[in-house]
Amino acid sequence: MMTKVTLRNLAAHKIRLVLTALSVILGVAFVSGTLIFTDTANKSFDTLFTDLYANTDVAVRAKPAIEGSDDDAVTAIAISEDLKERVAAVPGVKEARGEVNGFAALINKDGDLIGGGGPPQLGLAWNGDQATPLIEGKAPAKAGEVALGERTAELAEAKIGDQVRIAVRGGQETATVTGIASGDDLGVTFVFFDLATAQKLLLKPGQLSLIVIQGDGSASQQDLAARVAPLLPAELEAVTGDKLSEETRSDVDGALSVLRNFLLAFAIVSIVVGSFNIFNTFSMLIGQRTRELALLRAVGASRRQVTTAVLGEAVAVGVIGSTLGLLVGAGIAALLKVVFAAQGLELGGDLAITPAAVIMSYTVGVLVTCAAAYFPARRAAKIPPVAAMRDDVSIPQRSLRLRTIIGTVLAALGVAALALGLSGTGSTAATFSLLGIGVLLVWLAAAFLAAVLGKPVVKVLAAWYPKVFGVSGKLARENPQRNPRRTAVTAVALMIGLSLVTTVNVIASSARASVNDLIDRQFGAHYNVFTMSPGGVEPAAVDAVRAVPGITKVVPIGYEQFSFNGENQSYASGEPADLLAVSNASVSDGTATTGPDGVLLSEGYAKDNKLKVGAAVPAVFADGTRTQLKVTGIFPDSEVLPSIILSPDLWHAHTDKALAREIAVNAADPGPQTKQALEDALKPYPGVDVMDQADLKEMVSGQLDGFLVFFTFMLALSIVIAVFGVINTITLSVTERTRELGLLRAVGLSRRQTRRMIRLESVVIALFGGILGIGLGLAFGIAIQQAIKDDIAILSLPYGFIVACVVFSALVGIFASLAPAWRAGRMDVLKAIATE
Amino acid sequence: MPHTATQPPAPTGDLAARVLHVTKSYGSGDAEVRALDDVTTGVPRGRFTAVMGPSGSGKSTLMHCMAGLDSVTSGQVFIGDTDLTGLDDKRLTRLRRDKIGFVFQAFNLVPTLTALENITLPLDIAGRKPDKEWLDRVIDTVGLRPRLKHRPSELSGGQQQRVACARALVSRPEIIFADEPTGNLDSRSGAEVLSFLRSSVREMGQTIVMVTHDPAAAAYSDEVIFLQDGKIVGTMPEPTADKVLERMKGFELPEVVTR
Repeated sequence: MMTKVTLRNLAAHKIRLVLTALSVILGVAFVSGTLIFTDTANKSFDTLFTDLYANTDVAVRAKPAIEGSDDDAVTAIAISEDLKERVAAVPGVKEARGEVNGFAALINKDGDLIGGGGPPQLGLAWNGDQATPLIEGKAPAKAGEVALGERTAELAEAKIGDQVRIAVRGGQETATVTGIASGDDLGVTFVFFDLATAQKLLLKPGQLSLIVIQGDGSASQQDLAARVAPLLPAELEAVTGDKLSEETRSDVDGALSVLRNFLLAFAIVSIVVGSFNIFNTFSMLIGQRTRELALLRAVGASRRQVTTAVLGEAVAVGVIGSTLGLLVGAGIAALLKVVFAAQGLELGGDLAITPAAVIMSYTVGVLVTCAAAYFPARRAAKIPPVAAMRDDVSIPQRSLRLRTIIGTVLAALGVAALALGLSGTGSTAATFSLLGIGVLLVWLAAAFLAAVLGKPVVKVLAAWYPKVFGVSGKLARENPQRNPRRTAVTAVALMIGLSLVTTVNVIASSARASVNDLIDRQFGAHYNVFTMSPGGVEPAAVDAVRAVPGITKVVPIGYEQFSFNGENQSYASGEPADLLAVSNASVSDGTATTGPDGVLLSEGYAKDNKLKVGAAVPAVFADGTRTQLKVTGIFPDSEVLPSIILSPDLWHAHTDKALAREIAVNAADPGPQTKQALEDALKPYPGVDVMDQADLKEMVSGQLDGFLVFFTFMLALSIVIAVFGVINTITLSVTERTRELGLLRAVGLSRRQTRRMIRLESVVIALFGGILGIGLGLAFGIAIQQAIKDDIAILSLPYGFIVACVVFSALVGIFASLAPAWRAGRMDVLKAIATE
Repeated sequence: MPHTATQPPAPTGDLAARVLHVTKSYGSGDAEVRALDDVTTGVPRGRFTAVMGPSGSGKSTLMHCMAGLDSVTSGQVFIGDTDLTGLDDKRLTRLRRDKIGFVFQAFNLVPTLTALENITLPLDIAGRKPDKEWLDRVIDTVGLRPRLKHRPSELSGGQQQRVACARALVSRPEIIFADEPTGNLDSRSGAEVLSFLRSSVREMGQTIVMVTHDPAAAAYSDEVIFLQDGKIVGTMPEPTADKVLERMKGFELPEVVTR
């Protein structure tokens, strides 16, 4: 019987429940979309790596030169080619292939590099690896011939027989395309050379990056590796194919799980907002059905049955919402896959809808709906049966005092968690958990306190209403206060998204101000020529810069890693005195002249490691050389310089193809002509840009804008859900006040005035939410900025954004009231009065 | 008593409101229900007129049509010299605001406004300043001065209804329509409200039309119009509760007998 009541009620309040289900659908879609997409990416990588290492039983590779570092870039030890023949003779080895890999990027017809920005641009020696079979043409056989990856060729619009330009570390090559091979998935680009050319361009003649061994099936991977190991010199190792695959996987898995957690964090925000809507809707439905529920109680339903009936509705909404949410989520994941493919990041295979993702979606959808509906359901059970006989019984509202106490306690706990998180816990996971919990608690506290805060705030916000809008304004000022809890929860739902958007804006605005200040203070050169490409700035480009008339100083700067004082560190290398000068710095102790084995340290680093001028420090370079370096000078801490500076001599001596990452350039007459001349001189060198201070600021600004757009986009969904909440609340207010609206219309309130009254009420609720959100966001943003003062020194409040945010909130209010206000205006006066 | 009464001639003279051959029907074809059937009558200015009849007689419909709250199927409705039929919602709203006052049975006040704000509501809606002297007189007549700052929830039912009466009076409308104004009140509060309505007619020259089914309430009026089955079946000047009760019995008795 109670089931029937539940079902009938679902049917009777379709629209309201659709709005509620929409909150569930959107939240679940976000969760399932994230899970399905990352699962799909995972599966795609799985397939890729399985294919990639299908024929690899054992690989011979160089041990990391610097202990504790897995970074390939740090290893510059190559494998002698004759080792391959010896390894091939080991019993159980079917085939040993020499592999050569390095950076090689195709240059397209516009002179830009193809690929990059994450996935590697690989140059490879053709060795007949079945993972990358030829699908057209023939393999490269001699210098001047290349085969391209299928998608690489597509991106560069290159066909067999075409001449292509290829950028490699330290130069460019021209070659004819002889073949097309497959296997360049996920944004990787392939350029295949014959072995000798690959060695010459990517490595050194007679050397290999890797020896890949395929067994004949008679021995396990472990046994093969053990048999190969004794043949190897000390700096090399034999690893099984499984281990190699696992290592690569774990890198990708790490990146994917970071992405997943990041997206899920935003999904949680949407779900929290949605749960506020669900709570509100169920509270309202129960408020409206007081008499009906009392009747059920009067005819013998127990409290428990009433609670169960209401929760039954919640389960139904949760299940339906989750199912649709799952479908929408799969759609979003499919769409993302298409978007990624359009960006050149093709994920192979179909969408992976794992049971875990399905279970998670339903769990989240149903649990959140039930949890949000639980409190209204319990309140429903408290309706006394006598309420069925009288018209004036409403469910007793608990006093706001209890709310104030609960809210204050929650706020205190939240602030404590935030403070603890911001003061740093040492572990990133712990910090983020604390911050997350703190933010959630503060939101909840706001939901409790907003009911108390609402009255004075709304009064102030709407103080001008009666003056400007007359009686409509007067009524609109009072209406939000008739149900302070509902107003509060509606406003808080909007607050959540806006608080995070504001936080991000405060941080971005402060970061912008701080970086601009930094550039002003520490960017000492007139121009900075730099590249993001792993190929570096080729020497010819440095010469081209030197040849530009009016250039007075050219300082090529390299960044490399080495082991210093027992730790993996990066160092900058350039003429030390020049390097300091172009960073507006000079040594504060000792001398900038380093000599053959000298090193400059920053004050902070020297102090932390208790190193003084004259100290001798052990260092291991990427080529395996172990040496002692002498500290010759100390320079003030700088944001633009690493803590360690070495002379170019040391850098060149220990780095294979030492290439500058950037060039600091000074000119006699730094103006637009000089910049133009530099740009012209650098035209033949793809991926190299010229920047002055203004360009640099603009670039940082652009990056921050991108970051803002991304965050706002991710939070937009939670704001959309909150807008549904406002629509829901206003619609209900109109329905509840049908008779009052009828009375007002009868005594002469015009349709326009009625609509205006509803609109103004909606606007003041939205403004309340907006102001709460901005306030909270400012508090969060300022707290974070203060906590990371070392990185973001200057606090800058985004005033323009704040104004925009207030205007946006008002617009949300107007938008949310469109349909309810229209309905209120169209209301039939007679029917409204007659409504029971 | 005649089974079906012939309609009395329409009153003439100075009329605040009149209806001419008004028919109001709901539904169509076989399902058609005539709530008003060719009704012609008028409300004399400065008088207290009661409309009576059994349930379903069309008395509320008549009032709704006269007040411009409901449209008519055919015929004409006048408030003063203004023909309501054919006015759009905007003009009807303005007419209600400026020329008509309302007192309903229940849910008469806006809960978020104080008693005083409720009284001046029609003036506020119109954007007019209340005539201070008149407002004071109305407030004193209803005896609400000490409770002006209270919200409706803090007032008794009788007090609420007196606020509603004051609201109807304050804009000096041409006519006030009262729909069962004592329906929800105990007899003492009801008597208070009714005597207040009568005195506003006597002392302030207000025109009032009251729909009621309570003979005691009708006795406060100057004249009673009787309705049955959508037709006017008689009038009674200078009514008393007993006379009205007699007459009402007369309406219903034959029907009871025939069924």
